[in-house]
Amino acid sequence: MAQRTGAERLLASPAKGTSAGAALALVLAALLLGGCGGSSAEPGESSSTTSPAAAAQGQAALAEAEPGAQAQGGSQAQGGATNQSPAAPGAGEAPQSAGKHGPRVPQPKGAPEQAPTPAQIANATVADISLTSPSLPPGAGGPAPLPPTYTCDGDGKWPALAWSGVPAGTSELILYAMNIAPVEGQLYVDWAVAGIDPALTGIEAGKLPKGAVVGTNGAGKRGYEICPEGAETYLFALYALPRPLSPEPGFDARELRRRILELSGNVGLYAASYERG
Amino acid sequence: MRTKATAIGAALAALAVLCAMFATSASAAPAWKFEAKSLEGSEVILGGALDSSLTIPGLTTKCENFLYKLSIKNEAGTGKGEVTEVPLYNCTTNSEVCAVSKIGAEKLPWPSKLTTVSTSPYIIIEGVKVGIIYSGEECAVDGILVAVTGTAGGLINNTTEIATFDKSSFAATGTALKALSSTIEWNGVFPTEAFQWHREQALSVS
Repeated sequence: MAQRTGAERLLASPAKGTSAGAALALVLAALLLGGCGGSSAEPGESSSTTSPAAAAQGQAALAEAEPGAQAQGGSQAQGGATNQSPAAPGAGEAPQSAGKHGPRVPQPKGAPEQAPTPAQIANATVADISLTSPSLPPGAGGPAPLPPTYTCDGDGKWPALAWSGVPAGTSELILYAMNIAPVEGQLYVDWAVAGIDPALTGIEAGKLPKGAVVGTNGAGKRGYEICPEGAETYLFALYALPRPLSPEPGFDARELRRRILELSGNVGLYAASYERG
Repeated sequence: MRTKATAIGAALAALAVLCAMFATSASAAPAWKFEAKSLEGSEVILGGALDSSLTIPGLTTKCENFLYKLSIKNEAGTGKGEVTEVPLYNCTTNSEVCAVSKIGAEKLPWPSKLTTVSTSPYIIIEGVKVGIIYSGEECAVDGILVAVTGTAGGLINNTTEIATFDKSSFAATGTALKALSSTIEWNGVFPTEAFQWHREQALSVS
């Protein structure tokens, strides 16, 4: 007969080695009842806190039962073991209540903001077109950094842009580049191109598509110019119009934008930033 | 004697494996607790942030107060819930020419669940959708409706009873909110408390 391993012997022949078996049984029982030190049982949580009687009394009873079990140590002990967060910004500023464990939810002032109504959504220009630039590196969560070649420090040509999700029935596409921060309190347009075929899904860097019409930018020029004094963030916007505006070359970009917004079309937005050294 | 010692050793090793399994399963499925007792039935909790901000590339939108009302329960030992209300107060942008005309949560309720990442408890809120309409004649996004969508993961600190949503909590939980096809930043520190049956009781998850 082959010799059994220790574990097999323990399981198969409890009659032999009774003292060891009994000791292990006690250890097993103690460990299982104690939750192996890693169960959901919390420090300070007595067996009575999970009694069937307490459970049967329902939520209201649970809230009032066993005041002695509501020791401060409950959540405090847990936090010390596993839940120490890195110093959260503002965490220390949370309003505290003298009569309660945790913080009080701050009381808001004034009326809550109103969500857009269906009518307002219908009248808005919906930002649901995907617009991006294959010319620019990813922005790591922020605006994409604009390489100098697409500014007055380089060739001064516009980057390639690609888009998807233009709604069916779109009559005209119009591209804008705008400063996000106003200049002397006014919207500053760096570039505006109308008359883009809705069937297109992008434009090449520095090349206008056939039929495109260029407007007058904030510098008074018919063209593209990104030339900040310091750091600036720009918003490229592709507007999809439900009916054409077909402006003349050299159109007033600010005026055309007002007319675009009245049409309640769709738009794709893409942010890029540049800082002159 | 030597055989007996071997038997005890093997059994203890087996127990250690069992215990490790129990410990792992317990930490992987945190439950809602009040005063260290698992929640039975349901409860409504309220979280409220001061100065919560949301940054769409190039434009930051801040709300002085950002509340959420969450109906919670434990299912098979795991904390679940539904965000039923998200009132926002006094929302503005960091641009002098852009105002928040309309902002609000859409497609409520948003399902939520608790999870554990590297021993720390997190709340995951799915199906998040917030619609924002900006206004301002000189604002680059005037009249534009931007939808913020996705899943948000926040770290729960049991000691302070605060849920923190930020870049690191999103990274830890593999969650993201998106707007305009880009991942956006959302920062919010939410003191949280029971609103219904367990008012004034210590809230924790584990």
